[in-house]
Amino acid sequence: MSRHQLGEFEEIVMLTVGILYKEAYGVAIIDEIETRMNRKVSIGSLQTVLRRLEGKGYLTSEFGEATNVRGGKRKRYFSLTTLGSRVLRETQEQRQEMFKAIPRVAFPKS
Amino acid sequence: MNQLPGIQPPALFLRFFRWFCNPAFAEDIEGDLVEMFGRDAATGNLTRARMQFSIRVLRLFRPGIIRKIGYQSSYIHPLPMFKNYFITSLRSLMRSKGFSTINIVGLAVGLATFSLISFYVYHELSFDRYHQNADRIFRIVENLKTENEMLFQSTSSPPMGPRFQKDFPEVESYVRFQQWSLLAQRNDITGYESDSYIADSTVFDVFSFKLLAGDKKTALREPYSIVLTQSMAKKYFGNEDPVGQTLKMDYDNYKVTGVMEDVPGNSHFRFSNLISFSTWSRNNKDAEDRAWFWNGFHTYVLLRDAQSADKVRAKMKDFLKRNVEKGGMYYEDLPLQPLTGIYMAPERSWENGTRGSMSNVYILSIIAVFILLIACFNYINLTTARASRRLKEVGLRKTLGAQKRMLIAQFLGESLIVTLLSSLMAGILAWIALPAFRTLVESPLDFSVLPEAWKVIGATLGLVLIVGLLAGGYPAFIISRFEPVQIFRPSAQGIFGHHNLRKVLVGIQFLISITLVAGTMLVYDQLDVVRKQDLGFDKEGMIVVPTNGDTAIVKYLDAVKNELMQVPGVQHVAGSRQIPGQNANNLYTEIEMTGGKMSPTNINYNFVDHDFLTTYNIKLLAGRDFSRSVQADDTTAYLINEAAIKDFGWTPEEAIGRKVRRGREGKIIGVIKDFHYRSLHTKVEPMMIGMTNYVGRLSIRLEKNGDVPATVARVEKKWHELIPYLPFDYSFLDVEFDRQYKADQQLGKVAGVFTGLAIFIGCLGLLGLTSFVVERRTKEIGIRKVLGASVPSVVMLITREFIWLIAIALIMATPLTWYLIDQWEQNFTLQAAINPLRFVMAGTAVFMVAWLTISFLSLRAANANPAKALRTE
Repeated sequence: MSRHQLGEFEEIVMLTVGILYKEAYGVAIIDEIETRMNRKVSIGSLQTVLRRLEGKGYLTSEFGEATNVRGGKRKRYFSLTTLGSRVLRETQEQRQEMFKAIPRVAFPKS
Repeated sequence: MNQLPGIQPPALFLRFFRWFCNPAFAEDIEGDLVEMFGRDAATGNLTRARMQFSIRVLRLFRPGIIRKIGYQSSYIHPLPMFKNYFITSLRSLMRSKGFSTINIVGLAVGLATFSLISFYVYHELSFDRYHQNADRIFRIVENLKTENEMLFQSTSSPPMGPRFQKDFPEVESYVRFQQWSLLAQRNDITGYESDSYIADSTVFDVFSFKLLAGDKKTALREPYSIVLTQSMAKKYFGNEDPVGQTLKMDYDNYKVTGVMEDVPGNSHFRFSNLISFSTWSRNNKDAEDRAWFWNGFHTYVLLRDAQSADKVRAKMKDFLKRNVEKGGMYYEDLPLQPLTGIYMAPERSWENGTRGSMSNVYILSIIAVFILLIACFNYINLTTARASRRLKEVGLRKTLGAQKRMLIAQFLGESLIVTLLSSLMAGILAWIALPAFRTLVESPLDFSVLPEAWKVIGATLGLVLIVGLLAGGYPAFIISRFEPVQIFRPSAQGIFGHHNLRKVLVGIQFLISITLVAGTMLVYDQLDVVRKQDLGFDKEGMIVVPTNGDTAIVKYLDAVKNELMQVPGVQHVAGSRQIPGQNANNLYTEIEMTGGKMSPTNINYNFVDHDFLTTYNIKLLAGRDFSRSVQADDTTAYLINEAAIKDFGWTPEEAIGRKVRRGREGKIIGVIKDFHYRSLHTKVEPMMIGMTNYVGRLSIRLEKNGDVPATVARVEKKWHELIPYLPFDYSFLDVEFDRQYKADQQLGKVAGVFTGLAIFIGCLGLLGLTSFVVERRTKEIGIRKVLGASVPSVVMLITREFIWLIAIALIMATPLTWYLIDQWEQNFTLQAAINPLRFVMAGTAVFMVAWLTISFLSLRAANANPAKALRTE
């Protein structure tokens, strides 16, 4: 379990890649995170994390078609690997377990 | 969201991004960047968009995105690549064994020569630097002004050291030395210790001589104390402990108070033992305090810091005025010579020890660099010439995507491999040649002179690297420049565009060779002039035996001489204080000038017996020789030389009868022709000769066409009968006299040897180059022969361009060598005229050697069957 420890930002990036499904390339991921989480994401930090996750084998990527918008540069679409989705699910379940384990009294009345 | 035409992201940052970004990521990230920029720009605020773009690029500059350092691309696996380079390099070396051997042997000989000469030069420059206080030790020397000239002496007088210490707070300590030549005796071992020195007890504080036994504070305090060097202790005491024992030297018994390590070979003067200064000063108290003109000592002062020499110098005029009362006008100055510079400084009179020669160091360094250059040029020539052999390889590599710099690295690496192999071989060669080299330069060349091992190793590696880059740089550049298309096209004309450079390099090799050959011949010419110069006396067939004023000989001088004269083969025997080639005594004398006034002066003296002039064959210009029939001659008669009377402005006849006062009054009875009583480097100075019984040397003239070794053996036998206790420690005068030119003769020998080496390496290269040319033109030669060309015309075809090169090299070498030799000859009083014929000879010699080398191969090519040559398609 501890082998697959995800950082917070890593987790968000993987979730976003999952959400965007076939459309997960750099700018789209940034847009998605910025709208959903209401936080600024720099291309530098995103790309570092993407490459790192790809290196770990959680993500895979392939080039798309070239378009004019991007000065002729192709997009690189990311998608979750089987390993990636399992890690994501495990992380999710782990959080859920922990959330459930909180005694009810510990929550202040809202 | 379309990007507006004309709106571009900042080019500088884009370029920066492309430079640093890992190529595997570059495309899509750049696409992202451009897309975001386009979106920002669409909002209308272009400046902001550009700013955002730049910030994003800067924030991308982080590990993970930056390309891996050292890898050109993730698709190149460096290890197999280098392995492949290595293998192809070795294969190409193995394939052409002849060329590789020439390259490696040539470089090895060059490197070996270079390192041996470097060792020698380092040794020469290391003199006296081993003393801990080397930079604070200075020698007091004198600039004396006499009525006629300036005298530059290395000596100083006994009161100077103590007075320096008293008057100058900058002076911490001083040591005075005087050389004594003593006959040491212990039991049945006797020997002349001509390098005995008296020294102040401070000698071990000032200098870093290592005392092995005894107390350095007290060892040289008491009179008749002696400190022996290890080798002298061994000579007289064997394995006994000498400390506390006595050693008889001349007529006195000395107590051994210490043993020290031998004086290192790189010391400007060396001694076999030190005797306490008090041995001398106890009997000369008055002289020690007041004899300001007794210039028989070498004084070294230790300053508190190296910079204060200038302060002392500034106060010198005042010092002289204050201390030197009578006759102070003679001292012009007392310069301070730094210890480390004494060995190489211009020679002053009465130097102790040996002298180095800066010009020899320069000349040898130049030769070393020359030889290394010749070897490097060989490599460059052969490699570029043979580059065409590697063209296919280069073409293939380029087609498969090799970059230019990778090819450069490959060929540089190859030259480094060759250099490394050569340097290993050079190490072995140098090791083998070291003993011979030591004899050649007549220097001990002790390894202890060298700095720490890592510095030597570092310097060696540096040399290998420099030579490797120097030799391999150009070929690597040339080879990697070839375009694949050009290579595979059969008429590869452009490839040999560097042919001119090869000619220039071969030309320079010829230039160097001719310069060295002509230079060596001219050096020998000069040495010949020096050797054959009329010295004013006859030095051939003369042996000299020291007697050190032995009382028996002094008492029975005539009887001893008569006995020796009886030995068959002996012509004359004479006794004298000094012999030519030695230092003369400079003594205060008053001489009667024109007009009868007695004028004080310092003049050189020798003291001899009745037979000196006849034995040495010295000519009289006027007056007469000392005569046995005139009793008064023994104490009152003087001979004077030509140089002196010229100085005084007299004719020989005018000189006769003039009064001379030196303690006792005498007169001049004869004028002798000048003879070189000292070195040929200095001109003949004024001199007077008086009579003495106290002889230091016996000069024995042998019959010139007799059997010299047999006569010497007979004289030795007679000597042992007459004076059994005195060693017959003879030497040949001509050998001794020529020793003054040791440095110059060495230069001649060394230059000769290395010129030979340089030509050898040059020929190796020429051989390689010719064989290449011949090989390349095999078909051309075949066709020419089929069409009726004769063998000589084919040989001519190949040798023609080399002949041109030699002619040009000769024209350039002549003025260069002329100038260099002319400069060098300024070291001598008598200079040989530079013989233009020598250049022709050098040119011819180099031409002959080159021609033989070339025709050896071209003849073979010319004689070969043309059918064979043409069949090789």
